[in-house]
Amino acid sequence: MLKLMQNTAIAGAMILAAGAALAEYPEKPIEVIVGFDAGGGTDVMARTAAPFIEKYLGEGASLVVKNVPGASGQIGITETAAADPDGYTLGTFNLPGMMARTIDRESAYDVDSFTYLANVVNDPNVIVTSQKGGLDTLEKLIEEAKANPGAVTVGMSSLGGDDHFMLIKLQELTGAEFTIVPFSGSAPARTALMGGHVAMGILNISEVAEFQEELNVLGVAQAERSPFAPDLPTFKEQGLELLNGSMRGFVAPAGLPEDVEAKLLEAFGQLAGDQEFLDAMAATANPVEVVTGAEFKALTQDLHDLAKGVWEETPWN
Amino acid sequence: MYSDLLHALPDVLGFYNFAAVIIGVIAGIVVGAMPGLSATMAISVLVPFTFGLEPLVALGLMAGIYNGAMYGGANPAGLLRIPGTPAAGATPLDGYPTAQKGQGGYALQVAVVSSAFGGIASAFALMLLAPPLSKVTLLFGPSEVFWVAVFGLASIIFLLGGNPVKGLISACFGVFVSVIGADPIFGTDRYTFGRLEIYDGISIVILLVGLYALPPVIDLLEVPLKTETDANKLGTEPIWKTLPRMKGYWKTWIRGSLIGIWIGILPGAGGSMAAFMSYNEARRTSKTPDTWGNGEPEGVAASEVANNADTASALIPALTLGIPGTAVAAVMLGGLLIHGLQPGPMLFRENPDIVFGFMWQFLFGAILLVFLGGSLATNSFARLLNLPRPLLGSVIIVLMLIGVYSIHGRMFDVYLMLGFGAIGYVMDKLKFPLPPVVLGLILGAFAEENLRLALRIGRGDWTILFQNVTSLIIVALTVAVVVGPLIKRRYLSRRQASAPGQEPGSKTGTQD
Repeated sequence: MLKLMQNTAIAGAMILAAGAALAEYPEKPIEVIVGFDAGGGTDVMARTAAPFIEKYLGEGASLVVKNVPGASGQIGITETAAADPDGYTLGTFNLPGMMARTIDRESAYDVDSFTYLANVVNDPNVIVTSQKGGLDTLEKLIEEAKANPGAVTVGMSSLGGDDHFMLIKLQELTGAEFTIVPFSGSAPARTALMGGHVAMGILNISEVAEFQEELNVLGVAQAERSPFAPDLPTFKEQGLELLNGSMRGFVAPAGLPEDVEAKLLEAFGQLAGDQEFLDAMAATANPVEVVTGAEFKALTQDLHDLAKGVWEETPWN
Repeated sequence: MYSDLLHALPDVLGFYNFAAVIIGVIAGIVVGAMPGLSATMAISVLVPFTFGLEPLVALGLMAGIYNGAMYGGANPAGLLRIPGTPAAGATPLDGYPTAQKGQGGYALQVAVVSSAFGGIASAFALMLLAPPLSKVTLLFGPSEVFWVAVFGLASIIFLLGGNPVKGLISACFGVFVSVIGADPIFGTDRYTFGRLEIYDGISIVILLVGLYALPPVIDLLEVPLKTETDANKLGTEPIWKTLPRMKGYWKTWIRGSLIGIWIGILPGAGGSMAAFMSYNEARRTSKTPDTWGNGEPEGVAASEVANNADTASALIPALTLGIPGTAVAAVMLGGLLIHGLQPGPMLFRENPDIVFGFMWQFLFGAILLVFLGGSLATNSFARLLNLPRPLLGSVIIVLMLIGVYSIHGRMFDVYLMLGFGAIGYVMDKLKFPLPPVVLGLILGAFAEENLRLALRIGRGDWTILFQNVTSLIIVALTVAVVVGPLIKRRYLSRRQASAPGQEPGSKTGTQD
């Protein structure tokens, strides 16, 4: 009899404990879907951030990175959007790329498919010119592009990405006209610039920080000077309101339970103040700019609208 | 700079760092020898695990795997007519007939010594000439690279074998496959039928495994009883006894090394193009071109020396400019990035110990090949032929399925591979040569993208393609490659010379 009571008590205690554990998110590993190969910029961001998020989610939390590459990240983000909104599937998110994909092709997700956790990286665009041409200041560059519309060739990575939107903003601001040469990635574009095969290039600051002696960097599209390359002037300093960059962050499927969302937002929000995290990101050439929750969603909506506007005027395919 | 090179040496010789290279080479040989598993895949699987390792341990593993796999691919290529990696695509042309003659052991020894020679030459190029050679890469803009691709396609002509029409059909099929996926400039869908899985194009590994590996395996299983004669025909002798027989290959080795290093420096082409071009050149300049394709061990030497010679040299543009020369180098860049090593001119100044250490690891990896590969090849892999054929065939099929599935973790890729396998089987039975398909796939995409980029730079003006010296030199080479043999053939036919030898890759059987 005593034994039965004991057993019942233990069973009861276990049920209670299980109930408590259910409330205690996370109780199993959290999968982070990265839409690119291991070792790429987005993958490195996810793997660098993972241990810090584990720390902030509390005892026993574990993040597992899963690479689902293909179609410029579209396969991975589609999988994230379609996953159960239970907080055990997160995904990396790239702007403006992920939004451009909803416009230039058919996609199974849109702005409202996600719970926006945090944008972590903002890698501002830079305009560079080849040292083999004479266009070593912003003034000369724009003058040349206005005098001979289309004569300045611009190397960049694919159409519909941050580089492309940067050029469109530049054209709208100055009225100059350029010829786009979309390489399959930034590194080949940068190499073509160094070889003098294209005159100008649009890259990101992390991609030119190591190449400052080989290229003319004319300006950075960020409000403040970047700690990455403090010697480089912004466009704002040169009288041009030009802000643009490539952003990478984390999202979850739309419709997360409120407590889970709150817990994740709190964890991601703490990244910005963690010096150890900032140092780790700096070592892998990722300029950090943490934007969480509603603000992140608003940012995504803005970029979507910008991309849509561009698409309607000058579709790129 | 050279003092930095010496300064990095002690670290490399440390226990863990050196052990990493040894383990890498062994793992690489095994991975390379398994059809469907390639160096690119092994290293991409490894990259996430290297997060917690010391940089030189991680890089040593990668350097070892790269070197090992480039040679490992020769084992099934020679013994079973199945290239273990894309880079070994040219190895079966002569490796398999050689093995059929009962010299399989010798073919593998030629492969390992040639691989080591190519790897060592490439490592020296990387160590001593990286900065100046990276300037060569800068000369190659889109229009120049376009001509390189055309040059490569033109040399396919020699791989066509006895029947140029069938060969051209094969090449066209390869070029067609290269068109599938998003177009390189605008991202327009081409033949994807809405499948995101092929939006990035058809992976070369999937095509290769299906096309090359499946038909020989079916072949193995079709004739399960012809095994008994092969058992003791390996002709394995200790490697030091066979070395003197190889000394006549020195010209092929030097030529193949130079070709491999050059192809490695150019972005995008990779080991298979190097191997095919080296094979071509060696055959073209040979005094006895008729024996080629029928078991000329020098053909194995030509192919294997070149596919290892592009390993370290592919890292020259990768380390100095951030553009990988091969797919493997691209994955390695990811591995470097994880350890905070940003490719670029500053890399050599900021992290000399690690960068130069990495180069030493390439050199040691290549040297270790002779010891590890030599003993592994003669003692274990060559015994493959002793296995009962049904068992061997099934094991290979399982490996292929696992290998292809693990590239992206998708069943779709497996079905795609089986589809290509069916096509390959039919092509094989109808005696269509397979190498032009692979080259067509690689070079077709390469030519298209660069032609379109060049035309955009020239704003639609075709003369941009002929506007500088580098382009014109490659155009001249291409013309020479196409017209030269025609003139030679006319000259030969006047002298009533016999027709070229048997079709590459065809079975010579066990009759001799």
